[in-house]
Amino acid sequence: MNLLRPELLEALARDYALGTMSGGARRRFERLLREHFAAQQAVAAWSGRLAHLAKPVPPLAPRPEVWQGLQQRLFLPARSAPAQNSAAPATASAPQHKPRAWWQAIFGGGQVWAGALAGALLCVVVLRQQPDWVGLEPHADALPASYVGLLLDSGGKPAVLASSRRHGRQITVKLLQPLVVPAGQVAQLWGLPKDGGAPFPLGTVPPSDRPGISITLPLADSAEKLFFGTTRLAVSLEAAPARPGDKPSGAFTLSGHCVKLW
Amino acid sequence: MAMTPLPERSNAELARLLARVALQDRSAFEQVYRLTSGHLLGLAYGILNRRDRAEDVLQEAFMNVWYGAAGFNPAIATPMTWLINIVRNKSIDKLRSGKAERAATVELDDDAMELPDEGNTQPQQLLEESLLRAHIDSCMAGLAAVQRQAIALAYYRGMVHTEIAEVLGAPLGTVKAWVRRGVDKLKGCLETAGVEAA
Repeated sequence: MNLLRPELLEALARDYALGTMSGGARRRFERLLREHFAAQQAVAAWSGRLAHLAKPVPPLAPRPEVWQGLQQRLFLPARSAPAQNSAAPATASAPQHKPRAWWQAIFGGGQVWAGALAGALLCVVVLRQQPDWVGLEPHADALPASYVGLLLDSGGKPAVLASSRRHGRQITVKLLQPLVVPAGQVAQLWGLPKDGGAPFPLGTVPPSDRPGISITLPLADSAEKLFFGTTRLAVSLEAAPARPGDKPSGAFTLSGHCVKLW
Repeated sequence: MAMTPLPERSNAELARLLARVALQDRSAFEQVYRLTSGHLLGLAYGILNRRDRAEDVLQEAFMNVWYGAAGFNPAIATPMTWLINIVRNKSIDKLRSGKAERAATVELDDDAMELPDEGNTQPQQLLEESLLRAHIDSCMAGLAAVQRQAIALAYYRGMVHTEIAEVLGAPLGTVKAWVRRGVDKLKGCLETAGVEAA
C-alpha cells in the first residue's frame, strides 16, 4: 500500500497529529515521517490546525525544580551541580521533586580529555536519518543506517556512536560512555573531508554522566552531501559552538572513520 | 484555575528566540521556557493527570528544544505548534508506556489506584472555548455533543478510539467516524473562517 497517496497520507497525518493512532501503527507512521518531507508537511498542517484546541488549556506553572533540573542536565559540569545556582524562571511553590541529573559531566575523566587525537584508531560512525521536525519523531532505533561507525577515545574505547540516513538532515549521536565537558566549553563534533580539506562543524555533543544517552542534531545539508566525501569524524573542546567556516581550536579528543554502509 | 490564553502574538518573538537557542544562547532558552512552560505543562498535565509525570515530560521536551532548536523550520510550523507537538507526543508516549507497564503487572500501584483529578478542566469545556476563540463555534454547531466529546477526549486526554468508545459507551466504528468527521469539519471550518495554523 502506498502510504504517500495524498488522501491516505492526509488521513494518517490527521490521526497521528490528533493522537488516536496507536501502537504499531504509530511507530510505523513515525518511520514514514522520518523519511518523507510530504508526511512531515501533512502532520505539520494538521498539528497547526489542532493547536487551536490547545489555546484554552489552563497553564500550570512548573515547580522551580523543573528549571533547576534542566540546567543541571544541560549546563552544569560534573559533580558541581548544587541547585542554588539559578532561580526558577517560572513562578511556583514547590515540594520536593528531585531532578534527575544525567547531563552533568564529561567524557570519562581528565586524562581522556587531556589526550590528543587517538591517531589512526578505527572509528565507525552510524549516520542515521531523522526528519527536520524533531518533535515529531521520538524513536529511530529500528532504522537501518546508511553510514556506520564508532568514535574512540584516546584509550581506544568506543565513546560515541552517531547515525543518519543517506538523505536525512539530522544526525543522532549516542554516547557509549559518560562525556565530561569542562565548564565554559562545548564538545564540538566535526566532519573531516577525505581530501584533507578543512574540518567542518556538525554540532555539539551533549555532556552526560551516564552512557546510553541519544540526542538528535540538525545537519546543514543532507547526510549524503555532507558525508559522501567525509572519511573521519572528530570531537574537540571549544569555547563556543563552531559556526560554518570555523576551525578546531585544538587537538581532537575523540575521532574515527566515517563509513558508508549502503 | 482561571483560563489564560496562550500569548497570541508570541510566535514571532518565539521564532526569534528559537533562532538564538539554535546558537546555544542560554538567555534565549530561558525566555522560551518562561513564555511557554506553563501552557505546555498544562497540556501535558491534561494528558497524564499527574504533575510529576507531566513535569518529567516538560523537562525532556525542553532538552529537545535546546538540542533541536536548529531543526525548527518556521516554514513548516509556528513555534508554538512545534513546541506543542514535542510535548503532546512525549506525553502520549509516556501515557501509553505507563498503561502498558500497568497492564503487565498484577500489583496495584499508585497509578492503578489513581482517581481522576477534579482539578483537570473538562475536555468538552476546553473544546467549546477553543472553538469560540477561533470564531468557528457556529460553523461547528452541526456537530453532536457526543461527537465533540470524542474529539475532546482524543486531543486533551490522549485517548485512542477504543478508550473513547469505552468512556462514551459507543461502538468502536461509530467513535472512529465521529472523530474523523469531526476533525475534518474542524479543518473545513478553520479554512472557511480563514484561520491560520496556531
